[in-house]
Amino acid sequence: MMNPILRIFSLWTRFWGWLMAAVLLSLAALLANVTLSLYSGRFLALGLLGMMLAVPALLPLVGTARVVLRYFERVVGHEAIFRALANLRVWMFEGLAASAAGGLGFRRAGDALSRLVNDVDTLDGLFLRLMVPLLGALVLVPVVAAVLWREQPAALIVLLALVVIGFYLPVLTARAAGENAAKAGLAMSGLRTSVLDMLHGLREVKIFEAEGRMLAVIQAREAALLSAQRELTHKGSALNAYGFLLAQAGVLAAIMLGFTGAKVPAVAAVLVLGVAFEAVLGLPRAGLLYGQAKAAAARVVQAAESAPLVSEPVSPAPMPSRNAIAFEHVAFRYAPDRPYVFEELSLQVAQGTRVAILGPSGAGKSTIAALLLKLHAPEQGQVRLGGTDIAQLPTEAVRHRIAYLGQTTHLFADTIRHNLLIGDPAADDAALWAALEAAQVADVVRALPEGLDAWLGEGGATLSGGQGRRLALARTLLMNAPILLLDEPCAGLDSATEQEFFRVLNAATEGRTVLLILHRLTGAEQLDRIWRLTAGTLVAAAG
Amino acid sequence: MSTHSKPWVKAEQKLGFRAARVPIALGAAGTLCAIAQAAAAARLLAGVLHLASGGAALAAAGAGFVAAALARAYLALLAERQNFELGAAARRRLRGQVLAALLGLGPAGLRGRHSGELAATAIDRVEAMDGFHARWVPATALAVIGPGLIGLVALHTDWRAGLVLIVAGLFVPFAMAVAGIGAALAARRQFLAMTRLQVRFLDRIRGISTIVLAGRAREEAASLREAADELRVRTMRVLRVAFLSSTALDLAAAAAMILIVVRFLGVVRGDEALAPIALFMLLLVPEFFAPLRAFSAVYADRMAVEAVADEFAALPTLPPPAKPAEIRSVAAHGVLLSFDHVSYGWDEARPVFDQLSFRVGKGEILLLTGASGAGKSTIMDLILGFVEPQAGKITVNGASLEALVPAARAKMIGWIGQKPVIFAGTIEENIRFGNPAASDTELADAVRWAHLQELVNNLPKGLQTQVGEGGFGLSGGQAQRIAIARAFLKNAPLLLLDEPTAHLDPATERDVLESLRHLALGRTVVLATHSSMAMDFAKTIGARRVDLDALRYTSWRE
Repeated sequence: MMNPILRIFSLWTRFWGWLMAAVLLSLAALLANVTLSLYSGRFLALGLLGMMLAVPALLPLVGTARVVLRYFERVVGHEAIFRALANLRVWMFEGLAASAAGGLGFRRAGDALSRLVNDVDTLDGLFLRLMVPLLGALVLVPVVAAVLWREQPAALIVLLALVVIGFYLPVLTARAAGENAAKAGLAMSGLRTSVLDMLHGLREVKIFEAEGRMLAVIQAREAALLSAQRELTHKGSALNAYGFLLAQAGVLAAIMLGFTGAKVPAVAAVLVLGVAFEAVLGLPRAGLLYGQAKAAAARVVQAAESAPLVSEPVSPAPMPSRNAIAFEHVAFRYAPDRPYVFEELSLQVAQGTRVAILGPSGAGKSTIAALLLKLHAPEQGQVRLGGTDIAQLPTEAVRHRIAYLGQTTHLFADTIRHNLLIGDPAADDAALWAALEAAQVADVVRALPEGLDAWLGEGGATLSGGQGRRLALARTLLMNAPILLLDEPCAGLDSATEQEFFRVLNAATEGRTVLLILHRLTGAEQLDRIWRLTAGTLVAAAG
Repeated sequence: MSTHSKPWVKAEQKLGFRAARVPIALGAAGTLCAIAQAAAAARLLAGVLHLASGGAALAAAGAGFVAAALARAYLALLAERQNFELGAAARRRLRGQVLAALLGLGPAGLRGRHSGELAATAIDRVEAMDGFHARWVPATALAVIGPGLIGLVALHTDWRAGLVLIVAGLFVPFAMAVAGIGAALAARRQFLAMTRLQVRFLDRIRGISTIVLAGRAREEAASLREAADELRVRTMRVLRVAFLSSTALDLAAAAAMILIVVRFLGVVRGDEALAPIALFMLLLVPEFFAPLRAFSAVYADRMAVEAVADEFAALPTLPPPAKPAEIRSVAAHGVLLSFDHVSYGWDEARPVFDQLSFRVGKGEILLLTGASGAGKSTIMDLILGFVEPQAGKITVNGASLEALVPAARAKMIGWIGQKPVIFAGTIEENIRFGNPAASDTELADAVRWAHLQELVNNLPKGLQTQVGEGGFGLSGGQAQRIAIARAFLKNAPLLLLDEPTAHLDPATERDVLESLRHLALGRTVVLATHSSMAMDFAKTIGARRVDLDALRYTSWRE
């Protein structure tokens, strides 16, 4: 596999103009700095010897150029990196949407996804803190070599220190960070798991007096994380100290050589070396960043570019006009080493009928939804839509036919309006209110002072669980799809609301095909057919 | 940052500076070494120009240079490690506070809050405070101390050059203030906008399957791109001004350098006494500005605090646990529970129940029924002590529940809810969660009575199978059996069953109820349910019933 950092850089070809401008400005500022110290060293020495009495006009000129160039270096560098980062985020979003991660979110994997987002943030220092100074060092070495050759050839030996600081120490820090990244990452996810465990199980923790035990586990994980970070800090600080000492040794060597050669060039050489060392001393630290960024980039690239679990048909069949659903002798398991969820599952849902699938949790009800939505493909058998095998149909077109409400449907940290518009971006206010009425949540929204423009917290935190479910249902009803696939739509609703909900659903979905996935019936559903899922097969129940 | 988080930030700052004394002292010592090193280098350079005499003095300067460089390297290494410890200690302290607050609030206090969001405070927001304590606090102190020390030495050595340095140094904050007050305010808002964009991105990624399955991936990608572009344009407008303050720093350094050259240029003329001083002053210029540069480099660490301060400030500070008026224990065998005119409502407009009274005798079973929202779980929370009654009294064997020490109350009560939480760990660890001190025989009995034997036998690793996050996925019925085994192991005289079969299919429900029958023997039981099978089960073991719907109906009519 290609080095993931290079892969990230290759994404940024569109911004090469900006990136190159930033690099060139930075190099120009660095060269101005070298020139400045070269001339000021010379003039200073001459002045001290009484051979020059006024500051030559050249000096303030170069000094001003340096200040101005540095300003534009900062501005252009940030402009470039903002463009590149925005692009990286959108690229990752599109990549995840197209790849397996769509299915990843289907099962609760929010935390794995959040970690990926942190990884993207880790990449933001790559350009300004690593790439630019590294290119600077590459240019600096021959320039400084040329200057020293002219002023004091013997001082060339000092370049060795410069090369070690600029190119060898960063490799060492990068290696240390790379080795440490896995350890720190493991410790971090351990800490996260134990904190989430405590929060999910707070009731159990209190009732079983486990506060002390849980805190002890969390503190142990935290200590592991800190010790991994401490180890890296210790290595990094030692390498920094070596770098500093090398630079000082270089300067001292240049001074000593000055006693043997011409006096004025010696002073100039010392000042130039001072600037050169200052420019590379940050690089060992940037090496740390490289080590961490490489691990992060590998995860990001892998997640964004992994192939989808269900591949697109090479020559897709035309979309069928009808919307009947049929599962024919479907065998499926999540992985070759996992047991079969179904070995021979068959199911017919005629167009415009209402069908419920009942079954205990863990029986594979949601897997039926995943197969129908093309998140997974059956190992054997076929899933047909309007008579055509969905493997032959484009995934997006199939999903456009199906309005799906899942158990882990996400409410976005946005306004209620925007949350609803995900169902149908073209819907007007009247349509939004109609959907809210149908989902029995219009009263709740009307009671909010900002109405449709009320802000929902992360994960819908400003609503109760039941209200959030109903809002998600309203969004699903807005999708104008001929098939409704509802996975436990009433979780979190009390029984009176649940019954009312089904009455409304029956009216709102007249003529549509409805597939309900439930663990028990309330009696209010008007169903054409009820299937019970046990031991991987569907058995017709009364109805 | 809102106004109510300001005191919190102030307090953190105070704590930070107090804790950072050692690394700040190390930094100051480093500055002193830098001064010594500059003096030695100046003498050496003067020697190169044949403007300093004495081979011995030059050798001493060379030795001084080496010693000062070694000391500086060592001090910097120590300071870096100490800074890490500052950040580590602050994170440990903050995380401890957050976890204590969450534990103190308990499940009732955290009702309706997203556990992922709370975990983000305990983990990511705590980590975000690292830069503030480990970098910003020491850098801020040294931005005053470092230039201050160097300025004093410079004044003492040559007052004209020293004055130039100090004036240039004071120009930096002055220029930052003039060019940057507006910009800094805008930058703060901008930083928050940037954080919000990151949050938005995170939120969209977490909900990506919802977007994909709704077929809206393209629209959302476009709107993300638009938001990022808009933010970039606005941010750059601010940064173009904000960078001027860095430019002011560059400018001040350059001006100081030139003015010092001008000051000495005409007067040195080969003067052996003045030349090393002139060189010393010039070498001090970069050292003088280095701490100021370091300070402006940690600006983002300070800004990061603004983004998280609200969440920390919003955490409740726990009152010190009030000593119960009378501490008493309750007999271990047999519990009589009674509610005496108890009222409770989540807010004033919505009372859950009013003046509720009932009694459950030793070894008796009480069946609580009613629609969801009628108050079944609230009654459980009242008994568990997660909420306090607004009126009335709950007693256990005649003693008021509030008078019991929390540990004694917890020992007395066993509980099984709708969806037991399975922790990341082995099955055995999950069962022993009920009582870590249980013997192996007790564990084996609990496994048998909870009908877990069959499951355990079928797993290759048996009781040592990993479950919970990243482990073997248990079905609802299997998880519920683990909860029953926990309750067996805890062996508490009062057993609360809160819809223990709500998420189970009929066959599994029958099995679980069978295990519960055994568990209920000899204990005082409160069973809340709206499953008809569970109600029938309660009747067969002689339960009395309280129908909360009927109660409410009556109280409304009155």
